[in-house]
Amino acid sequence: MGGTRRIAVAGYWVLSLAALAGAAWLAAYYAPVDADMGVIQKVFYFHLPAALCMFGACGLVFVAGVGYLWQREGWWDDLSHASARVAVLLSSVVLLTGMIWGKQAWGTWWTWSPRLTFSLVLWLLYVAYLVLRASIGSEQKRAVVCAVYGIVAFLDVPLVYLSTKLMPDIHPESIELERPMWVTLGAWMAAVTLLSAGLVAARYRVARLERAHEEWALRTGMGGPA
Amino acid sequence: MTTSASIRLGRPGARAGSASTAVSLRGVSKSIDGRAVLSEVSVELPRGSFVSVMGANGAGKSTLLRVMSTLTGATEGEVRIFGESRGAAVRAKIGMVAHETMLYDELTALENVTLFARLHGVPGAASRARLMLEQLGVGAVAHAAVRSMSRGVAQRVALARALVHGPELLLADEVFAGLDVGSRELVEGVLTEAWGKGCTIVTCGHDVEQSLRLSERVLVLERGRLVMDEWAHRLTAGSLRERLGGRA
Amino acid sequence: MSAVRVVMLLAGKDLRIEARGRQTLGLVVVLGILIEVVLALGLGQASSGLRATAILWVTYLFGGVLCFEKTMAVERQHGAMAGLLLAPVDRGLIYLGKLCANLALLGALAAVVTPVGIVFFGFDLSAAPGAFAAVIGLSLVGYAAVGTLFSAVTSASRLQGGLLAMVVFPLSLPLVITSTQVLAGVMDRGEALDMSGLGVIAVFDVIFLTASWSVFELVVEP
Repeated sequence: MGGTRRIAVAGYWVLSLAALAGAAWLAAYYAPVDADMGVIQKVFYFHLPAALCMFGACGLVFVAGVGYLWQREGWWDDLSHASARVAVLLSSVVLLTGMIWGKQAWGTWWTWSPRLTFSLVLWLLYVAYLVLRASIGSEQKRAVVCAVYGIVAFLDVPLVYLSTKLMPDIHPESIELERPMWVTLGAWMAAVTLLSAGLVAARYRVARLERAHEEWALRTGMGGPA
Repeated sequence: MTTSASIRLGRPGARAGSASTAVSLRGVSKSIDGRAVLSEVSVELPRGSFVSVMGANGAGKSTLLRVMSTLTGATEGEVRIFGESRGAAVRAKIGMVAHETMLYDELTALENVTLFARLHGVPGAASRARLMLEQLGVGAVAHAAVRSMSRGVAQRVALARALVHGPELLLADEVFAGLDVGSRELVEGVLTEAWGKGCTIVTCGHDVEQSLRLSERVLVLERGRLVMDEWAHRLTAGSLRERLGGRA
Repeated sequence: MSAVRVVMLLAGKDLRIEARGRQTLGLVVVLGILIEVVLALGLGQASSGLRATAILWVTYLFGGVLCFEKTMAVERQHGAMAGLLLAPVDRGLIYLGKLCANLALLGALAAVVTPVGIVFFGFDLSAAPGAFAAVIGLSLVGYAAVGTLFSAVTSASRLQGGLLAMVVFPLSLPLVITSTQVLAGVMDRGEALDMSGLGVIAVFDVIFLTASWSVFELVVEP
């Protein structure tokens, strides 16, 4: 890695973490405590941006899948893998913050409400992607299978949403936000987006380096699977 | 065979044609999971050729035949089979026998061959299939399930399956492996007959004498590279064996 | 040869192989009944439309996965898939043929385990047998569409069993959720058939049939 690149990457992470710290400060001291939900309402600032970024990551898996099937270049597969990991991480966040919210609002950690079910199915879909990846030995086969799965899983997302809409709902349809709440939400949105994009990029970079190393090992006959 | 007589004049591969070319590979490389299985193989096979591909195990013989069959795409380079790169029209002209028989165990020999005849749109599929089985000397077991057959018999059924639609290019991968002497002679006869009718034949195997006797041209692969392309009549069993590194 | 004839030819071949061995259907039917016994022992007879559909789905899901695996294993045994791929037919038709064979097996499975479930759990389908058949029938088409695609994927990759289930179950959850909700409305609350629910299932079918049909050629290349 070149010197400039190293500085740029370090700068990016400093910026991201600063944004997160700022957002956390806003959530703690600036945004008012919600009348009904109390302090727990504040997980919402993490919940919603994480959900939006999760859709972004799922969409990236889809795009990478299409790209791979079209061009058959290894870097699309690496991008798909990196995005899927971040999608699982974000959907775990969405699921957990959703559960915390549910505990406060309805007094139970889990209820088969449409949105919790939706988050759970999405989490399962992308965890399955990671398990599928880990089970295929051949690199080319793995890339094709994961590309197809990534496409199909993304097509599944709106259907999961529509199907859960049929379930009886106790979720708040809309939440009224005061101005400081909007500001805090915006800060969290920026911080989570920066962190998610950074994580995808970092995972992608690691995968590229691993691939380069494997190719080098194959070429020189040193290390790697014989 | 006037065509084969005329090409014997030049060096193999020197002649580049279009209409008269069955198989044309230009700079074909194939890598599987980063490992190069074929490296820059270029070869032109005119229609009506009978070619043997030889080389050690893992030299890329089977992969070369799969590339010619369009089952596998090349990583780099250009593949032209009868002037086209791939598609149903090309597949209609190809027959293939591989080490695996591509037959269904639970079905009878006749059902297997008839199925493929129908898929190829052969008119009178069932009677044509029966005829093919009889030609290959397995008419008597037409109604036996493939599961019960020995390797030699099943291999002959597989050959019937590959020839039932009258292919213009026959790719025979290790077709003689595991055959007894009788089956071997019969299969040789069937291949020669198909060749006589103008079918281009590419086989691969290990038997040096047999390759020299049957084919008119020999290709030798070594670690995915085409290291020899020579007319069979210019080779002796000894020289070919030496070229193969004494392994055959 | 016409597309329909190719599909019938290939599906007929699979069903003939199944008829000779009778391995798959026997296995999945007995497995389905076993699952129902286990669930009945825990849940007893009191049941609702919501439960009935979910219980039946467990048998369809597990039985279905075994059907998909078995019908694709036939192609792998002696490399027969390569023979099919060499045939001068649209490769999407190979997918459709396999799908039809799988649907026939799923239909046979459902024809046995559904009545058994009705007896074991005291389900009452009399409220709307037509709605039940329509919802389950449409759902099974979607399930088979996804299952057939990924059975080709996992078989080509020589993957161990269980993985197919892990891949197709999450993808099929919209079908399970929709059909249980729609049938709960019909059976338990006596509502009319929710056409928007049926629409979700139909959209699922169309999307995954189209997607699978178009990518099948990419995933089977041996």
